[in-house]
Amino acid sequence: MRLVRRFRGHRLRWGVVVALLLFVALIPPLAGLNESLNPDASSRFQIFLGTSALVLALWAVSYNLMLGYTGMVSFAHAAYYGVGAYTVALIFKRYHLPILVGLAAAPFAAAAVGLITGLVAQRAVRLYFSLLTLAISQLLFSIVFSWYDFTGGDNGISITLPDQLNDYTTLYYFTAAVVGVCLLLMFILVRSPFGAALLSIRENRQRAASIGINVKAYELAVYTIAAVFAGVAGGLFVMYQQQAYPEMLYWTANAQPVVVSLLGGTTTFLGPAIGAFIYVVLDNSIAKQFPYQFDIILGAIVLGVVLAVPGGISDVPSVFLRLRERFRRGDVDAEAQPAESTGEAIRMFDVSKALATGAIQAEEVRSGQTLLRIEHLSRSFGGLRAVEDVSLEVKQGDRHAIIGPNGAGKSTLFNLITGQLKPNTGKVIFDGRDITGKAPHVIARTGIGRAFQITTIFPKLTVRKNLQYAMLAHRGYTVRPFGIADRMFSAEAQDLAEAVGLGAWADLPAGQLSHGDQRAIEIAISLALGSKLVLLDEPTAGMSAYETDKAMELVRQLATERHLTLLFCEHDMAVVFSTARTVTVMHQGRVLTAGTPEQIRRNPDVQKVYLGELEQEELGA
Amino acid sequence: MTPGQLLLFTVGGLANAAYLFIVAAGLSLVFGALRVINMAHGSLYMIAAFVTVVIANQVGAGLGFWAGLLVAVAATGAIGGIIEVLVLRRVYGREHLIQLLGTYAVSLVIAGGVRIAFGANYRTVASPIPGHIDVGGYSYASYSLFMIAAAIVIAVGVWAMLYRTNLGRNIRAAVADPDLLNATGVNVTRLYTTVFVIGAGLAGLGGAIVAPSQAIGSSIDTDVLVLAFAISVIGGLGSIVGSGVGALIVGMVVSFGLVIPATSPFALAFVFIIMTAVLIVRPRGLFGLPEN
Repeated sequence: MRLVRRFRGHRLRWGVVVALLLFVALIPPLAGLNESLNPDASSRFQIFLGTSALVLALWAVSYNLMLGYTGMVSFAHAAYYGVGAYTVALIFKRYHLPILVGLAAAPFAAAAVGLITGLVAQRAVRLYFSLLTLAISQLLFSIVFSWYDFTGGDNGISITLPDQLNDYTTLYYFTAAVVGVCLLLMFILVRSPFGAALLSIRENRQRAASIGINVKAYELAVYTIAAVFAGVAGGLFVMYQQQAYPEMLYWTANAQPVVVSLLGGTTTFLGPAIGAFIYVVLDNSIAKQFPYQFDIILGAIVLGVVLAVPGGISDVPSVFLRLRERFRRGDVDAEAQPAESTGEAIRMFDVSKALATGAIQAEEVRSGQTLLRIEHLSRSFGGLRAVEDVSLEVKQGDRHAIIGPNGAGKSTLFNLITGQLKPNTGKVIFDGRDITGKAPHVIARTGIGRAFQITTIFPKLTVRKNLQYAMLAHRGYTVRPFGIADRMFSAEAQDLAEAVGLGAWADLPAGQLSHGDQRAIEIAISLALGSKLVLLDEPTAGMSAYETDKAMELVRQLATERHLTLLFCEHDMAVVFSTARTVTVMHQGRVLTAGTPEQIRRNPDVQKVYLGELEQEELGA
Repeated sequence: MTPGQLLLFTVGGLANAAYLFIVAAGLSLVFGALRVINMAHGSLYMIAAFVTVVIANQVGAGLGFWAGLLVAVAATGAIGGIIEVLVLRRVYGREHLIQLLGTYAVSLVIAGGVRIAFGANYRTVASPIPGHIDVGGYSYASYSLFMIAAAIVIAVGVWAMLYRTNLGRNIRAAVADPDLLNATGVNVTRLYTTVFVIGAGLAGLGGAIVAPSQAIGSSIDTDVLVLAFAISVIGGLGSIVGSGVGALIVGMVVSFGLVIPATSPFALAFVFIIMTAVLIVRPRGLFGLPEN
């Protein structure tokens, strides 16, 4: 059933592409036909509108590369569009070079400006990133607006195209070809492992970094790439409008690609392109007669999309589906519930399957050698010494538990090891390399996988993609801007999903699963990395006793058979003493003692500071 | 530069800072308590400016202006209440993008409505406080001095509201931890509406006060919004003191940027250079709290 549906979706998608191509190809002949039937209609004008829709489509799709695929909101995108436009206009008018030289230079100019300003904008994150792009955009606008001698100031620059391009139909097909090539390039990019990295960043920056993705570098790359295509769009704009003007760079100009993307849907690649055609049609039917009402209608549409249909027009069918489902079931809250998963996954953990999968690889064990060495590590927050002078060693193949009461510094220690925090003093040596204070993605790539205490997964991606993208990122494939990411490691990810009992739900968005199942994904991601060392921060937090047993059995067996080294912290003493071979006890940021579970059990100090208060009966001491 | 010129440009800068502070304080107050950037803030300012101009011109300068100001502030406060209930309540705690787009949509609707109601032409109104004061060979419009005084009164009023009333205490508590405040029995939903109405009212007050000093057109919404952003960012989003300092910086830069002929076209560019520098060196602004 699911297969059939997916196949249909596939056909539908290609149907949309073919229909769009046909539509684009047929606009000039249809406009001509329309003119011959209806003498009032001007085919020239309609072809002109078609050209403007194509350029808008390119501009909007390039914006959506940031918005829809990486989750960045930029107010400076119009500035790069403007830079492209001015590049073409200036090269043609001022330096008297052929217009196509200008068009070829536009993406480079936009890339240069985009890269430099992007580097600046990246100094801030999220909302402050957006505000910084606003400042940059207004700065560029002010320069263009005020520099009369070079840019013509508020008059802008007008050009007259050479004769061979000054024919509306030729220009239309030329624009269509350039836009088509650009869209194809962007499509290849978003399907590639590089695109997978972008989606990971949009979904969860912290998880993206801890599977080995250099978040800032990818964001800068996509910001610059988006600027490149915006530059091309701006160049094409000058060719059919025959002018460039400063308002193209004004910050409010960014609203157009955003609204267009929303209209068509930000979650699909071609959504913004379809939105562009809808926008141009609306703009020239309603806006021509009722210019002021058009603003209101546009506002109402944006509001409707934001509040009711987050996916845009292309998401409308799913809204109807949801409504119908609600109506049929009479169940208003149906949507709010996790869809199908019931927390069964852990019960279905399949250890033999996990052992068979090729996804989890580790080098041959050199048992007894030190894999991770921590030397005199300290970190304080203000006056609070969260971790103080901690030294410990984790041997290859060991299963090492860190225990201690709340506030003992366990999670801080983990964050110091994996780079979320930087230590004040001390060293972290992993596999012979000094990784002290390195960025999380660098540390992840050296071979440390991590499961977080608070579930950190990609909620809107399917379970399989969660695992696939982790495998791609960790192996360094995400630098590739070609190839189809979803076909890579697909079988391995399915194996791993089955191993943690999620095989049946591999095609469901991870965020729809129950808490226990999401913990299973969390553990699976940390295993999918094929890391030598796996850090588990309270891996079974929130699981039932039964689920905990099953999950830890899986972890234990995998560690043994696959030569993984485990470092975990856990409150459940039963889990600790059944799994660990070495135990380190932390108290108030310091290491109290370390030893075998048996030694720890008998240590009177440990009983006093920690176990004594809490769990003495459990130890039978 | 002579001392007379220095005074002239300083007063000019203060007058700029005065109305910009009133607008930015509203934007910043709303951001501090509600964590929402209100893209429709400039639109409320524009509505108030038009309402004031129309009423003042109908009733006649002087009394008409004051009546217009009262109606404008009441109207923008009421519109703010409607926006909060209908739109903002549905976007609290969601991504910044959704909040930006939701309030942007509102600004589009208002922009269309204003153009239908008032047309696209620029409008002006006579100053309710005519005359000027001559000092050192330069004359100063009395109304500019009134604007500066009004901004100081409003600054003190907002400060007293925040630090001397129960409402202000609740607002500050909401900034720190809305869930905890809710648990103590304060109706946070109603508090948010109140804060947004006050923020909208401040936008309206700014628009009404600026009306006699500028030509009012249908694009003043985005022009003032971007400056209010710059001020809030420089001073620190959510900080009233920051809005004051930010407004002074922006007002002075715009005023003195015009002094030197070579830089005068780029006066506004300096504002955004400062904004960029602040965001890079200290993203939370001069007086802002770090974002959790």
